[in-house]
This record gives sequence, C-alpha cells and structure tokens, in this order.
Amino acid sequence: MKFRALPLLISLGLPLACGGETEGAADNLRRIAVIPKGTTHEFWKAVQAGAVRAGQESQDVEILWRGPEREDDRAQQVALVESYVSRGVDAMVLAPLDQRALTQPVSLAMGRNIPVVIIDSGLDGEAGKDFLSYVATDNFEGGVRAARHLGQGLPEGGKVLLLRYAEGSESTGQREQGFLDTIRGEFPSIDLVDPKRYAGATRATAQEAAENLLSVHTDLAGVFCPNESSTYGMLLALRSRGLAGKVRFVGFDASEGLVEGLKQGHLHGLVLQNPMQMGYLGVQTALRHLNGERVETRIDTGVRVASQGNMNDPEIQELLHPDFEAVLGG
Amino acid sequence: MIRRAGSQLFSLLEPFLGLLLVMGVFYLLDSSIRFGMADVRTISVQTVVTGIAAFGMTFIIISGGIDLSVGSAIALSSVVGALMIQADWPLPLAILASVVTGALCGLYNGLLITLLRLPPFIATLGTLGFFRGLAKKISGSTPVNADTLGMEAWVNPFPAEDSPFHWMVLAPGVWLMLLLAVLMAVILRFTVLGRHTFAIGSNEATARLCGLKVPSTKVKIYVLAGLLTGLAGILQFARLSQGDPTIAIGLELDVIAAVVIGGGSLTGGKGSILGTLAGAFMMAYLRNRCTAFGWPTYYQEMIVGHIIILAVAVDQWRNRRWSRS
Repeated sequence: MKFRALPLLISLGLPLACGGETEGAADNLRRIAVIPKGTTHEFWKAVQAGAVRAGQESQDVEILWRGPEREDDRAQQVALVESYVSRGVDAMVLAPLDQRALTQPVSLAMGRNIPVVIIDSGLDGEAGKDFLSYVATDNFEGGVRAARHLGQGLPEGGKVLLLRYAEGSESTGQREQGFLDTIRGEFPSIDLVDPKRYAGATRATAQEAAENLLSVHTDLAGVFCPNESSTYGMLLALRSRGLAGKVRFVGFDASEGLVEGLKQGHLHGLVLQNPMQMGYLGVQTALRHLNGERVETRIDTGVRVASQGNMNDPEIQELLHPDFEAVLGG
Repeated sequence: MIRRAGSQLFSLLEPFLGLLLVMGVFYLLDSSIRFGMADVRTISVQTVVTGIAAFGMTFIIISGGIDLSVGSAIALSSVVGALMIQADWPLPLAILASVVTGALCGLYNGLLITLLRLPPFIATLGTLGFFRGLAKKISGSTPVNADTLGMEAWVNPFPAEDSPFHWMVLAPGVWLMLLLAVLMAVILRFTVLGRHTFAIGSNEATARLCGLKVPSTKVKIYVLAGLLTGLAGILQFARLSQGDPTIAIGLELDVIAAVVIGGGSLTGGKGSILGTLAGAFMMAYLRNRCTAFGWPTYYQEMIVGHIIILAVAVDQWRNRRWSRS
C-alpha cells in the first residue's frame, strides 16, 4: 500500500527536476546546444573544440555539448533535439544524422523561436526559412577533389573502386556523387567499379566489407572511401593483402591511424575538412543571429587535399592534427 | 556397431549440413563465380571474434539464459587491452588484462542474475549500456591507438611471405578458435559443468531438486563465457590495431544468431559448439558471397534474416518428427 504512491511521486518529481534546470535560465547566460552525430570520433572532438572556442569569446554563453551514443541512431538524435526544445535553449547547432528524419524536430524548434544552425550534413528544406543557416564543407566539391587527386596519379587508367559509407547519409552521398561524376567526366581511361557496397557504421564493419570487396576485385589500380571509418577499414584490408602502397588510395578526413598511413605511403591522399572551423562558425552564426545581425544562409568551411608531399605544411598540419586538446583541456 | 559409429559421425557433422546446403545453392546459382582459398582465409578470420564469443554464448543459451551485453564487453576488454599496451605492459599481461576484464563482466552478469534474481535478458540489457559507457569513459570516448606488438599477424587473412605464420595456411587466430571449439565441446559434453549446464537449461526446477547448486553453476557459466568474450575483445583489438569503444555495437545479435543457426534453443537445454561454429561461419560466408555476386548490402540483410528463420524452422520440424516416432 505504502509504495503505491511511489510512481505518482516520481511522475510529479520528474517535471520538477527538469523545471529546476530551466529556472537556471533566469540568469543572463545564453545557452546554445550543440548536437553532433556522435561523440567518439576525433572529427567531433574538433567540432566541439571549435564550438567551445566560439563560446569562450563571449562572456555570457554556455555551450551544451551532447550527442547520440551511436553515430547511426536517428531516433536518439530526434529525441535529443526534442528534449532541448522542451527544456528551452536559446539556439541550437545541429549536425543531422539524416536529411529527412530531423526536419520535424527542427521545425518544432524553429516554431518555438529557437534558431537552428545546421552543420556538417544537409537537411531537407530551405536555409533561412526552415532553419537559420547551413555551415558545412562543400561535400560534392570534396568528392571532385578526391577524384582529381586519384585520377591524376593514374595516367594509364585502370580499375577504380568506390566503397560507400552508409545508406541515407547526405554528406557522404554527396562526396560519392562528386567522385563518380568527376571520374566519369574527366578520366575516360578509368574503369569505375561501384558495387554499391556500404562500409557501415564502425571500423570493423568497414574492414569486413573491404576485405570481401578486395577478394572479388583483385586487379585494382585505385580506391576511394568517403569518410574516416571506411578509409581506416580499407587501409587495414589493403595492408593485410599486401596491396597497401601499390593501389592508389584516396580517403576522407583525418585521424592518427590515417595520418600514419599517409606518412608510410599506404594512403596517397586525404581530403580534409575543417571541423574546428565548422563548430566555431556554427556557434558564431547562431550568436550573431541572437544579436540581431543578418547571417548568410550558406557558409562553406572549405576542403584541402593532403598528400605525402604537402603534409608538413603548417596549414595542412593544423587540419591533420587539430589542437582540440588545448581548448578542451586534454 | 558400424551403424552406431555411422550415426555418431552423422550427428557430429550434422551442424555443417546446413552450411554445405547453402554453399551448394550459391554454387548452383552461378558456378563461374569462384570460391577459392583466399575466400576461405578471409571468411575464417572474419569468423574469429564472433565465433569465440559465440562459444560462451552457447553455454549460456543451453543453460536457458542469454547475454545481450557481449558486444559491449568485447569493446570494454579491447579498450582495456589497448590501454595496458599503451602503458607499456608486456603483451602477455595485456592479453591477460583483457581476458580478466571479460571474466569480470561475466561475473557481474552472473551475480546480478543469481543474487538479484533478475531475468538474464534484463540483467544483461542493463549491463549492455553499463559496459559500453565504461569503455567510453576509460578511453576518453576516443579510439585508443596502441602498438599491436605483432598481434595483428594472428588475425591477418594473408600473412606475408616472411611471416612466421605463413606455413599455417589459415591465420593463427583461426587455429586458436578451432582449438577452443574442441576444448569447449569437450567441456560441454564430458565435464560436470557441461552436464549441469544442460540440466539447468532442460528443467531448472528438476535440476534444483536433484541437489544441483543452480546459482553457483550459473555464475560459473557466465564467467566462462566472459573469459571467451575477453579473448574475443583482445583479438578484436588485434584486428583493428586500436581499442575502439564503439566497436561491436549490435554484435550480440550476430553472436546469438550464430548459436541459433547452429541448433541452439532459446528455451534452453539444446545447442552445440560445432553447430555454433558452423553458424558463425555461415554468416561470414553469406556476407562474402553477396559481395562476390555483386548484390547490394540490403539483399544480404534480407538473406541472413531468413537463414536464421529457416534454420530454426527446420530444427523444430525435425524435433516434432522425432518426438512422434
């Protein structure tokens, strides 16, 4: 009998506990929620560092950093956006896991007067209306640059393989498209193989997919992978086959393992984005809007191609080893 | 006499019949797509992590339990191993640390199930999140890059000409898995622990009435499975050459599927190590063939799903016939 009131107490207590947090908003802090696709990749650490740095530049800004535990868990990201809407933040910076699934929660936020800046991956809808602004790498251009870097190293032509990343991911889909269009348009001597195989969410799934592809396609001249985990999985598979260095291999993004591969000559190029800049400009754009300024609806954060030749240039070094630990405190 | 030996041989090889059947189907579909030694090497290495973890799961499922936390425990023990190597521990100690981590995960599961009397599904659903979170915490949420100290050669499908393992044909990790399969099959069939595992899974109440110490046996089963999970974890590290806290998400379903395809029953009392091995190999085989046939990833998912359904359906149909006759 005594315990029957317990669920009631809990259900009463929960909104009170949540209410406690919104009460805190009465101080003059402006809260900006930054929601990445995941929190474990180094890429997102750099985005976080950029966001934190932008927050530190004004006295009255608090950055709330929180992402879904799994990089492919759309439902969890939707729930996260919704909970920030109901909790009430001043603005949101979001890297949507899915170009469509996140449109509903974003329009919910915009309807409640919470401006949303989209970073990294696109969202269906019109920037400036359905969301505030789109701050990202021009991913299609990234694919184009990868194709040129790969193709120019293969004057004889040959068979070139594309390992895709994951179904429904807009940013990598754009890179794949940019790569395919450019190879087909500019390098007629290259025989493009696109078996529509996907690497999947983790490095281990990418490794398996790559191993299986390499046992089917044994006469490759080149390979392209559109993100960090697929590039890493392919690098391991090429190494175990003794093909690393012999096949011209271009990947996307940087991490310790990939930079090592570039140094050893196992990777011939890495298309680099500027994640720190993305986090920085994402938060800054939101702040400028809150200050009543007009903001651009599309902000390009740029791409560079790193190769063994230029990897020691200071500019490239900064992209290969973004110094996020200085900002986040290790 | 000969007949009896024949039927024993048949029941030993039975788990592989389904595998042969599937291989036959792929051969008939298009015999021009070859299935060579290179494929066998690749597939067998891809089976190692799932397979070794699935041996432990076989014990658990036979005892009527389940372990949903196995993927997270693999990630945790692979992170622990990587951190130990980073801290300059000698390799054997780092491997031991991984295996012990797995065993502790198993111990925790076992204690939750027996002391709190939780259904294994619930207890391990809880630890699935706990172990994953712990792996992220101790790794600072980023993959731990550490030197594999030559361990990567254990799970390399194509050893270099000058590798000491070149003569082995299959990678050392594969031989380790096969050795463990034999060892675990012997434990399951011929030791007290194995017989008690079957007894608990067949009828827990009867087992208890017969004076069997059910809780302590269960804890032993989960610890044994944990040891294997820890070993799978360090091999996962060897394969990726980094301890990734987000690795093996959803792997528990592959592990459970391997046991079920191999004839394990989720109601307990039934299952075999060789069957599990065949099940684990079958899934890697299907992934490999779908790539070789140039089929997109979604066909592979549709096919693997139905292989699980078909395997269990055939098994139940045979059980009904057997109980009727």
